Amino acid sequence: MPESALVCSNLEVAYPEFTLSLDFSISEGELVSIIGPSGCGKSTTLQLITGLLKCEKGTIRLYGRDITNVPIWDRQIAMVFQDYALFPHLNVEQNIAYSLKIKHIGRKERLQTTRSLMELVGLEGYAKRNIAQLSGGEKQRVALARALASKPKLLLLDEPLSALDAKLRKHLRQEIRNIHDTTGITTLYVTHDQEEALTLSDRVLVMNNGRMEQLDTPEHVYAKPSTVFAAKFMGEGTLLPYDVIPTILVSTDKGPDKVVFRSGGENRQIFFRPERVIVHDNPELAFPEFLPHLRFNSCKVVSCEYQGGRYLLACNWNGYTIQAFARMKPLGDAVVLGVRMSDLTEYIDSVINKH
Amino acid sequence: MKQGAPRSVYQHSSFYSLIGLPGLLILIVLFIIPLAILLFNAFVDDAGTVTFQRITSIVTNPYIIRILAFTLFQAFLSTFVSVLVALPGAYLTSNFEFKGKRLIKSLCMVPFVLPSILVVLGFVIFYGNSGMVNRMLIQLFDLNEPPLHILYSFKAIIMAHAFYNIPIAMGLISSYWERLPVSANQAASTLGARGFTTFRTITLPRLTPAIISASTLVFLFCYSSFAIILVLGGGPQFTTMEVEIYREARIMLDTNAAAALSVVSIVIALCFVAVYSYMQNIMSNQEEFTSPLSTRKRMMGLRKPTFAAVFLIIVYSMLLAIFVLGPMIAIVVRSFQAPLTRTSQMEFSLKWYRQLFGFSQSFLFTSAITAILYSTAIAFVTALVSLITSTITSAILCSLKQRGRLLTELLAMMPMAVSSVIIGLGYHIISSRLYGSTSWKMIALVMAHVVIASPLVLRTILPTYRSILPTYMQASMTLGATVSKTFRKIEIPLLRSAMVTGASFAFAISMGELNATLVLSDSHVITIPIVMYRLIGSYNYNAACALGSVLILFYIIIFFIAESIKRKKYA
Repeated sequence: MPESALVCSNLEVAYPEFTLSLDFSISEGELVSIIGPSGCGKSTTLQLITGLLKCEKGTIRLYGRDITNVPIWDRQIAMVFQDYALFPHLNVEQNIAYSLKIKHIGRKERLQTTRSLMELVGLEGYAKRNIAQLSGGEKQRVALARALASKPKLLLLDEPLSALDAKLRKHLRQEIRNIHDTTGITTLYVTHDQEEALTLSDRVLVMNNGRMEQLDTPEHVYAKPSTVFAAKFMGEGTLLPYDVIPTILVSTDKGPDKVVFRSGGENRQIFFRPERVIVHDNPELAFPEFLPHLRFNSCKVVSCEYQGGRYLLACNWNGYTIQAFARMKPLGDAVVLGVRMSDLTEYIDSVINKH
Repeated sequence: MKQGAPRSVYQHSSFYSLIGLPGLLILIVLFIIPLAILLFNAFVDDAGTVTFQRITSIVTNPYIIRILAFTLFQAFLSTFVSVLVALPGAYLTSNFEFKGKRLIKSLCMVPFVLPSILVVLGFVIFYGNSGMVNRMLIQLFDLNEPPLHILYSFKAIIMAHAFYNIPIAMGLISSYWERLPVSANQAASTLGARGFTTFRTITLPRLTPAIISASTLVFLFCYSSFAIILVLGGGPQFTTMEVEIYREARIMLDTNAAAALSVVSIVIALCFVAVYSYMQNIMSNQEEFTSPLSTRKRMMGLRKPTFAAVFLIIVYSMLLAIFVLGPMIAIVVRSFQAPLTRTSQMEFSLKWYRQLFGFSQSFLFTSAITAILYSTAIAFVTALVSLITSTITSAILCSLKQRGRLLTELLAMMPMAVSSVIIGLGYHIISSRLYGSTSWKMIALVMAHVVIASPLVLRTILPTYRSILPTYMQASMTLGATVSKTFRKIEIPLLRSAMVTGASFAFAISMGELNATLVLSDSHVITIPIVMYRLIGSYNYNAACALGSVLILFYIIIFFIAESIKRKKYA
């Protein structure tokens, strides 16, 4: 494990509506996304780390140095703001060179750094442009270059793509990843877009109500969410009571999964994602699953939503709604659904139960 | 929505031109007529040929050059003092959240409508040799002589201008400052700039256009200041262009020379208007205030004042309150005071009001009731006409695109270069050519007042009109309302608050208007400010105070009526 770049231990700020309390660390060179619903404390977390907000409890360490009480300008943390916060009275070049000028770095070096940064973010030839003349995507690039120019130890991005249209967003997030890989700078990225967090990051931090729900790789956050909240927030899925298992379990002796059924309780639930569900619409054929699985007989298709390349089905099974992806539109509205035991996650009091 | 973006097809519907055009024409004609007359008088001699002799004789006259130099100098000094004192106030109100901030902000609007004759009177009563401040100082320190000698000097002019313009400068700068998104400052600090460096490299450069533009506006106000110079200057050595125009026209009775002087004055003022306009352009191009997010962040970013800031806020607002409200309160207090005998102390008395309303026999005071009646009638008509013309003019200005904006700017700028004295002179020449009766004079006076009041009414209504989302109108029309019905049912109700404010401004301005009225009027047309001016001229300050208090009472009533109408929910 590489050295920890940023360590936030027992951070706490109390607001009238909610309390933010966090404890996490980020390794050197990592790109970590913070994701959560609006008002969960994502931006507050960034403001605490930059020092725009004072934390009441806890410490923040950056490469071993305690920066909890260090003023903003001495923290060596750069930030890309949601509204970019470009200086309107300076042109592109002057914006990028701002931090260098503050540090009284010579004209020649300043020019050189600015040039290479503009090349890095793809803004060659924009040096003398006025900020007001730039498009949203161009402003975004200037903001990024300006942040990088200060040679920060940590780069924070606060929903940097939220003001842009979908296509540009996809393009730019790839570029941000590339720039991160080129510079190797430790990065914390706030977003409310699940897809963005999953595609972009080394690890994803899921937040809710001022607390951390999970900090893990994108694969784990999606496939093995630590909490019911994280599970629902990171994508579609079906939540059922644990007690349905014994009635519909189809055991086969072939499987590697030995199913141990423990007596349930009202606080136990199971969860699975729609792409893990097998949709069987032809009773003439055998059910195509040979490993231990749950089989939901006589489901009724309630809605069938075409999503381009696949259908999202909502099916009624004994009063429960089960979501499933299907490659083809089901023949009739009666289907049998199945989900492999190994694709289930189990929750006790909304927290994952790792057997 | 971005300003200047196309407002969709229906906005160019002939309906808006149809209702707007008369308003626009009325404003332009009312404004052009006096200007044309002045140009005619300045450039055409008695034989009917064009001559530049009148202009050249003015610009080469050392007496006039001295007056011009003094005008510019006092305006410069007044501006410098006003803006310098206003800056800390602008800083405090735009960077901290505290109780009473709204009150301070609405106080900043007061000078726009406060009549200069009240300010002059307030100054005499408050700072005069036997004024309140001096009497208090004498009592406090047991002095034999009044320690402050402010009146009838250069100091008095500068102070009175500061009185007017500190709140204006503070209001203008602070309203710009508080809209500056705070995230740029935060960005600067994450990039390594300390508090003061951030101020120097980010805040100050962004604020400079606002400071310059506010200064230019204040400069223009001081440049065309009239009543303050006329009364408080107290002598020929402190004469400005406007006073000289009045003197030529009404005392020397040389309207041609006055017209030529006016032309020179307008040309000089236009230079400063150009600077102002240029700065306004820079301001609107440089900053993007469209993002509601950054504005919200700014509001959230407002700091709770620190202990030092609280101290400064208290001291500053107390000084400001004394400075601004003191003279006004002094007028009211003085109006209720009279000495029982010639040498005794002042005591509570209704003597001046009894005189004013004719309960005791005095020739001057019978005119007070007439003046009140005249003033109210003129103000009512002025408010009504200004309101209607400005509202429909807004409709056409909003529906025009690029050309409309240029026209709007011209309409807003021209009155800044053409002072109310000059407007009054134009109408004076017209009505004297017509050998007019009193009723003609009255009509000319109302027209002059409409020209003077309308720009402010337009400035109040137009921004609100622009901020109405076009989608409201589109929604209304998809629901089956015609363009004219939409105008009546959607736009007018949304404009109501601004219209009420505008109308009350027009009423207040007309009630207190002295400059044009003095140049225009003869002995038959008397208004409250005219009577007050005569009373001050004959050193009858007490009666002037009583009449001044009546004027203040009118203002308070207008304010409360306007507020209560605005507070009513949409019917």
